[in-house]
Amino acid sequence: MATELLEAAALTCLICDTPNRTGASICESCSAPLSLVLAATDREPRIVSVIGDSNVGKTVFLGFLLDMLAQRANNFEAIPKGAYSLDLPQTVISHMAYRMFPPKTPMESHHWNWAYYQVTKRSKHPKWVDLVMPDMAGEAIAAELASPSTFRVIERLIHRSAGLLLLVDAALAGNGSTQPDFFALKMLSYIDAMFSSKRRQKIDMPIAVVLTKADYFPEAFDNPERFIGANLSRFAHMCASRCNNLAFFASSVVGALGYATSENEDTATPIPLHTSLRGVMEPFEWMVAQL
Amino acid sequence: MLKGLFARGRAALDASALFGRAAAEVGALPPATTDPVTEALRTERLGLILGKRAEWADLPNYEQAFATAVRAVDERFAFVPEGTVSLALTTYDEPGQPEVDCETEPFLLARHTVTNEEFQRFVDSRAYEQPELWPEEVWPHLIDFKDISGAHGPRYWSQGRHDRRLARHPVVGICYYEAAAYAQWAGFRLPSEAQWQMAASWRIRSAAHTYRRYPWGDGMEFDRCNIWLSGHGQTLPVDACPRGAAPNGALQLVGNVWEWTHSDFHAADREGRMVFGNSVMKSIRGGAFDTYFAWQATAAFRTGLESLARVHNVGFRCAMKLLAH
Repeated sequence: MATELLEAAALTCLICDTPNRTGASICESCSAPLSLVLAATDREPRIVSVIGDSNVGKTVFLGFLLDMLAQRANNFEAIPKGAYSLDLPQTVISHMAYRMFPPKTPMESHHWNWAYYQVTKRSKHPKWVDLVMPDMAGEAIAAELASPSTFRVIERLIHRSAGLLLLVDAALAGNGSTQPDFFALKMLSYIDAMFSSKRRQKIDMPIAVVLTKADYFPEAFDNPERFIGANLSRFAHMCASRCNNLAFFASSVVGALGYATSENEDTATPIPLHTSLRGVMEPFEWMVAQL
Repeated sequence: MLKGLFARGRAALDASALFGRAAAEVGALPPATTDPVTEALRTERLGLILGKRAEWADLPNYEQAFATAVRAVDERFAFVPEGTVSLALTTYDEPGQPEVDCETEPFLLARHTVTNEEFQRFVDSRAYEQPELWPEEVWPHLIDFKDISGAHGPRYWSQGRHDRRLARHPVVGICYYEAAAYAQWAGFRLPSEAQWQMAASWRIRSAAHTYRRYPWGDGMEFDRCNIWLSGHGQTLPVDACPRGAAPNGALQLVGNVWEWTHSDFHAADREGRMVFGNSVMKSIRGGAFDTYFAWQATAAFRTGLESLARVHNVGFRCAMKLLAH
């Protein structure tokens, strides 16, 4: 009897289903915060994962997205479930407002910021969706791609995700780097291996491919799909052959970038001189419509 | 027909503008003439008419054209009195940061930013093919100053034409050099950032000697301007938000589109290191419809943009010296 009570009180991790001892704050298996479980009271939350390479802009994108939702952008209404859900937007906004980029997301998953929001588009018959959106470290994602199951939390998160926002660096790709193409290709290959066991079976999960830093290449805004075809051709071919539910977007957050440097320095510090948001809400809006 | 327009003075100019607008909508302006005064009036190069007084004074139709241009400039430009502005020298905005004080002379500033239909006249006059309008260092880039169809014109136009629905919206998708070339073509110039700040902060020499945070006062009011929080999500016509006008009637100094100035952008970061762009940066001012932070859309906020950037949220307005009596 006592054991049953203890089990009933134990919290099952929302991400990896591991039962955790009472009083634990993070999952002992995957390090996801157990406060997510406490927040999930009304309906089963849908996980939307923002994934992409290191420095692609995941933290800034997600931080502004959450802040815009909190300000009812595009007729959305979003209720943060728990104060921890506001940590990420607060960090991003407080840095960007002072023309600084936020610090890099740490590798260790117990240091990541998580956001749990109840979201709806305001209408006559609003449909509420519970969304869990973690801010994952790009290095951790890369490590998981290189050696699957290294970061169990990432593996479980993607497996549990109802949709993915896959961020790709348009500035790098447009300047001829093959890194964004190969990273996105690896990411899609990883997802493909996870969800589709047969060659004819495609990935059904909605995936929004978002070109970040697209202000460097205005043509990315004109036609994101064409830009991807021209600059990330390997990834574009795999998208066409393996994805059933895919959409392409372009976004930018920084209106102008300066670099601070002095004569004695070899490196330059990027300074976001002002903030001009473009294309941040659209992929999210599409994603919510798919859920 | 144009001779008749001169005789009718200001009404003539309005009619000319209307005719030009209507003609632009069907794809062409009235045919060009060889008479420079008539041609300048037809294309509404008002500053050019005023500036050529010594050169054109003997032309038979000049005095009437001059009078028409004076009236039009009086209507379209606002007087900015002399004053002092304090320009921040750093990229961080905190009390006590280094500033430099600049004195500004009185001048005239356009009441609104240049519209698509106004810029259309510049494009239609084949200004992109007139080397005297462009500094030599930018000649290699002229082939890049194309619209989405590959014709000369702003980045977001097509076939050298603007979207008719946006005729009265500010022209965007133009780099600093296109803005400066237009101003020169029309006989004006771009304001310096000190002049722009003077117009927006209205720090005139007076007993108080205070400045405004916004052209209308010290408090942000989202319905007086078009920034992200105003919720429009796109540019508005240049005469929108009349309640946000500066005391002299200049509209939208804050919001709608950033505005190119002719000043280079120089600033230092918190550690005193100079901030550079990948190429020469020009100062842009005022914030735009997608400016997220209200404090980045104030009279004093300084930022820059690479001079060749042709983006969706930067336009410009013209300035000119006071007319000599």
